[in-house]
Amino acid sequence: MDDESKIRVLLVDDEADFRRPLAKRLIHRGMEVFEAGGGEEALSSLKELPVNVVVLDVKMPGMDGIQTLEAIRQTDAPVEVILLTGHAAMEDGLAGIKAGAFDYLTKPVNLEHLAQKIRHAADKIAARKAKAREQEFRERMEQQMAATERLAALGTLAAGVAHEINNPLAIIGEAAGFALMLMEKPEAKQLPFYNSLMNALNKIEQNVKRGRTITHQLLSFARGGDDAVVLKETDIVDLIHDVIAMVNREAKGKDVTFEVESTANKVYAWTNPDGIRQVFMNLLTNALFASERGQKIVASVEDGENIIRVEIADSGCGIAKENLDRIFEPFFTTKPPGSGTGLGLFMSRGIIDRLGGSIEVKSKIGCGSTFTIYIPKVSKNAVVREPDKHWLEAAKEIERSNSHGSGAR
Amino acid sequence: MVRVPVNVLVVDDEKDFVEMFSLRLSEFGERVTGVYSGQEALEALKKDEYIDVVILDIKMPGMDGVETLREIKRHHPLVEVIMLTGHGTVDTAVKGMKLGAFDYLNKPADFKEMKEKLEAARDRKAQHEERIRQAEARSLMRRGGELY
Repeated sequence: MDDESKIRVLLVDDEADFRRPLAKRLIHRGMEVFEAGGGEEALSSLKELPVNVVVLDVKMPGMDGIQTLEAIRQTDAPVEVILLTGHAAMEDGLAGIKAGAFDYLTKPVNLEHLAQKIRHAADKIAARKAKAREQEFRERMEQQMAATERLAALGTLAAGVAHEINNPLAIIGEAAGFALMLMEKPEAKQLPFYNSLMNALNKIEQNVKRGRTITHQLLSFARGGDDAVVLKETDIVDLIHDVIAMVNREAKGKDVTFEVESTANKVYAWTNPDGIRQVFMNLLTNALFASERGQKIVASVEDGENIIRVEIADSGCGIAKENLDRIFEPFFTTKPPGSGTGLGLFMSRGIIDRLGGSIEVKSKIGCGSTFTIYIPKVSKNAVVREPDKHWLEAAKEIERSNSHGSGAR
Repeated sequence: MVRVPVNVLVVDDEKDFVEMFSLRLSEFGERVTGVYSGQEALEALKKDEYIDVVILDIKMPGMDGVETLREIKRHHPLVEVIMLTGHGTVDTAVKGMKLGAFDYLNKPADFKEMKEKLEAARDRKAQHEERIRQAEARSLMRRGGELY
């Protein structure tokens, strides 16, 4: 900040005898001063020096002050220009202001006035910068909000569709299952095209399962405020080891290893363990998918005061820049059809959002991706529930079957 | 070992679903009745006292699954009910279990899981019936002691 608020002046005058003492006195007043002996020199200095105010003599041989000012304005360098005009040359000053100067002073210059003008000009620049920053911030926020809203709307729509698809899917599943049962009878073996029929029926059944995975994931996302989620004291480190154990077989096949780092042996949060497990599952499966033979995936847990930070980093293929914005959208996937639903990260984000946390990603093509999750130690929807034992048992049962039914795939 | 078939009543407004589901269960050896509304379910239960388990869809027009469950449990407390839910209505399933449903199944259901739950439900009903029989026998014995 200090560096930014420092006033840097470029003093442009062909007369070194005038320029030097003035520069010295401005330096004395805490400004940083650079000098140029003419218009061309000023223009080339501006390209390299971090100047914010230019003090420009109008009367110069060659390129004069007004011409220099016009040239500066064309470079859209973020500088303000103060003109120094000869005595009784008011036209020059007015022309300068028309050409975009901040102000003008007549020679001989009162140093106090000049210093004050320079400060004003610098303030104007600072204000403009702050405004630009604010504008940029607001635009970014708006973009983010639009993205969040779009995701929410997409999620709701997708869940609605999923619900409607579910019934026909159930009927197809039952019909195929029934047909397959009939095919098991000895007399069915006599049927012509028996093998082709079996093949077709199996395909139907398999793909109903695939469809079911998708509809169930979407619907469990749409459950939103989710009454069935039971929050409990959960060791995040333990949970990661759990999930690694689940994907380890696949990892071994690919010769990929896992490493867990943690600031403590146990890191507890009052959270939704099944949700978090699903998130870890999705992230680790993705990391594994992106990794190449012999690479390592590092999961690190950092215990904080209110928030636990979990980082899952691979050194795999990375995510293309144009895809980074889209990876949390439902159905966005770069995996071949059938191998990914495109819902894993979408779901993960939903789970983490609902717990009051956040999820971030950094990635570079060829260097790998790092997902960072922030999990609040006490989740925001940690509601104290009435001690209804039967209900709790029921809910636990649901938890269990959910983790089987809609895990990352 | 001879397998005793489970008497199942399937309730869903999706007729095709009831038909296919019933065919499959029958093929597996269960005794199945299919109906398409809560009202019909209650009538079927009145007519057929051997029904062990009701598989009940939660989302139905008119009398919905939860309402039907409440009525079933009021008139036939021993009959076990398995709720059939879209994954999105699990909350309703929990409510159903609070009202006395035996369990719930996500639709489309996994057949193996469904069979297991079906048999578990039937077994619980048998246990309850057995306990009631024993209690009745005990009370008969006691009364007998007083009489003679």
